[in-house]
Amino acid sequence: MFKEFLEHVFPRLILEKNLRIRYTFCLGGLAFTAFMLLVASGVLLLFYYQPCPEKAFESILFLESSVPGGRFVRSLHRLSSHVLLVFIFLHTLRVILTGAYRKPRELNWVIGFLILCACVFGAYTGYLLPMDQLAFWGTHTGIELINTAPFGEMIGRFLVPDEVGRPVSLLRFYTLHIAVIPLTIAILCFLHFYRIRQDKGVLPYL
Amino acid sequence: MEKVGKSRRRFIEAVAFLIASVSLLWKFFVPRISEKKPLLRVAKADIPAAGALVFRKSRVAIVKKGDEIYALSLVCTHLGCTVNVTTRELICPCHGSIFGRRGEVSRGPADRPLERLQVEEQGEFIVVLS
Repeated sequence: MFKEFLEHVFPRLILEKNLRIRYTFCLGGLAFTAFMLLVASGVLLLFYYQPCPEKAFESILFLESSVPGGRFVRSLHRLSSHVLLVFIFLHTLRVILTGAYRKPRELNWVIGFLILCACVFGAYTGYLLPMDQLAFWGTHTGIELINTAPFGEMIGRFLVPDEVGRPVSLLRFYTLHIAVIPLTIAILCFLHFYRIRQDKGVLPYL
Repeated sequence: MEKVGKSRRRFIEAVAFLIASVSLLWKFFVPRISEKKPLLRVAKADIPAAGALVFRKSRVAIVKKGDEIYALSLVCTHLGCTVNVTTRELICPCHGSIFGRRGEVSRGPADRPLERLQVEEQGEFIVVLS
């Protein structure tokens, strides 16, 4: 089963006409590239970031001032996070406008939507980590917003057991941001690619 | 023959890429740990009660305000000229930036306050670290 999965993710043959840039604008591929850049720069950031409220901002100042290329890696991480969201939204728009969500591709539409949600959530959890004023108040606003949603208080209590910017909530955001969410996105992405091949190609309707 | 040449080229490219990325990564993993060295050692009694002690050569002003003693770097945050200390403010001779006595910007083009250097008390002396 695993072998079959790999053969679908890395197929030996693909149709040349599916590779035309006007066909899909490669928006999903560009989004996945941004995701890989995020993983690479994120792993480098892990070497210097300290996930406790007193040290977090200091560790970022240290990264920016004393580590060669530290500012570059952090900027790369931030910029590719923006780029990832832009490409995912454009990709969603493309799928909607070309009707690629229709039968037999409904399952892949759902998987794609879950990836979109996971990416937005990942961006939100990453926002708190620098622990500067923007991070703190931005996260505060987000939690207030979640609280107004149905079941929001439950989600809010899971995300922030103490208070925004206190040790437990920062650690929780950190764990979600560096482990849980990226792993979820990666698994969903490969499922997404597998389904593309299972559905025989990229687009049926163009 | 052609095949051999091509694979050699690819091998050399791969090795060059590997060396470049490993050396960049190595730089990233070796941060500049700056050890703070004492820059100045001044007797507390020498600092005027409501004034500033200016060291133009080390580009530092030690300011006393009430009980608080702090050291301002005299390097202008705009382009790095040495600012002049007057009785009320600090003025940069190059482009006319004006800083208040706490180092805050009161007129541009500088957009960041003067840097504060770390100060350590050692008995009767004040040590400014750089």
